[in-house]
Amino acid sequence: MKRPPMLMRVQIGGEERKFRLWLPLFLLVPLAILLLIVLSPVILIAVIIVWKRGRGSRLPSVARASLGILCSARGIRAAFDVFCSMPGLRVEVCGNNNKERVYVSII
Amino acid sequence: MSENQKKILEMLANKKISVDEAYRLLSALKTETGAPEDGGSARTAGKPKPKYLHVCVVPGHGHEHDLDAEVVNVRVPMALIRSGMKFTSLLPSEARDKVTDALNEKGINLDMRNMKPEDLEEIIGALGDLEVNVVNDKEVVRVFVE
Repeated sequence: MKRPPMLMRVQIGGEERKFRLWLPLFLLVPLAILLLIVLSPVILIAVIIVWKRGRGSRLPSVARASLGILCSARGIRAAFDVFCSMPGLRVEVCGNNNKERVYVSII
Repeated sequence: MSENQKKILEMLANKKISVDEAYRLLSALKTETGAPEDGGSARTAGKPKPKYLHVCVVPGHGHEHDLDAEVVNVRVPMALIRSGMKFTSLLPSEARDKVTDALNEKGINLDMRNMKPEDLEEIIGALGDLEVNVVNDKEVVRVFVE
């Protein structure tokens, strides 16, 4: 079974200032899920109001279908699967003769 | 064909060894190298599974100290590519048709409507042999799998 990523490491370095951040994703994920559960009735009501006013029908059919699938159980599972596949992802961009650096790594 | 296999066949052709001896030597060679019998999967069976896709952009020769020269290094886990491609199966058929048509317009014959999980594994497995090097005056772009 895949496990969700534990940490996100962010480093932004300039000539004068350096910024380093270790983001504990294993703490943020339960918080995000909790927030989603708490906010889901509010989101549902907002969606119904927007839909009833006819604004939802203005969306292109493809966007409507995509939103429906992404909000379904299969969509949430697939999104979680993508999230769990992120450990090992690393992005590094250096410029100005390596004086400026942006580094993001997911562990 | 390896050098040893060639030598055995040459010895057989020169009648230095018998057919049975040649067969035994070739079998022993196969066991030693661990090469599988079938030719198709032989290329991929011995290789370790690719883990990461790397995209590196570095300044070209003589441009290393340019102020606007940038170094980009991206490492994407193959599992993420696999999950991302599985995500496409969730696209509604209308969107999938549009993507397929757009790809066809660009000359890429990839039909997303008929893509199966086995095809996906085959594509990802084939990435193991991928190596792209683009070199121009200003920068060098390398795409490879490790």
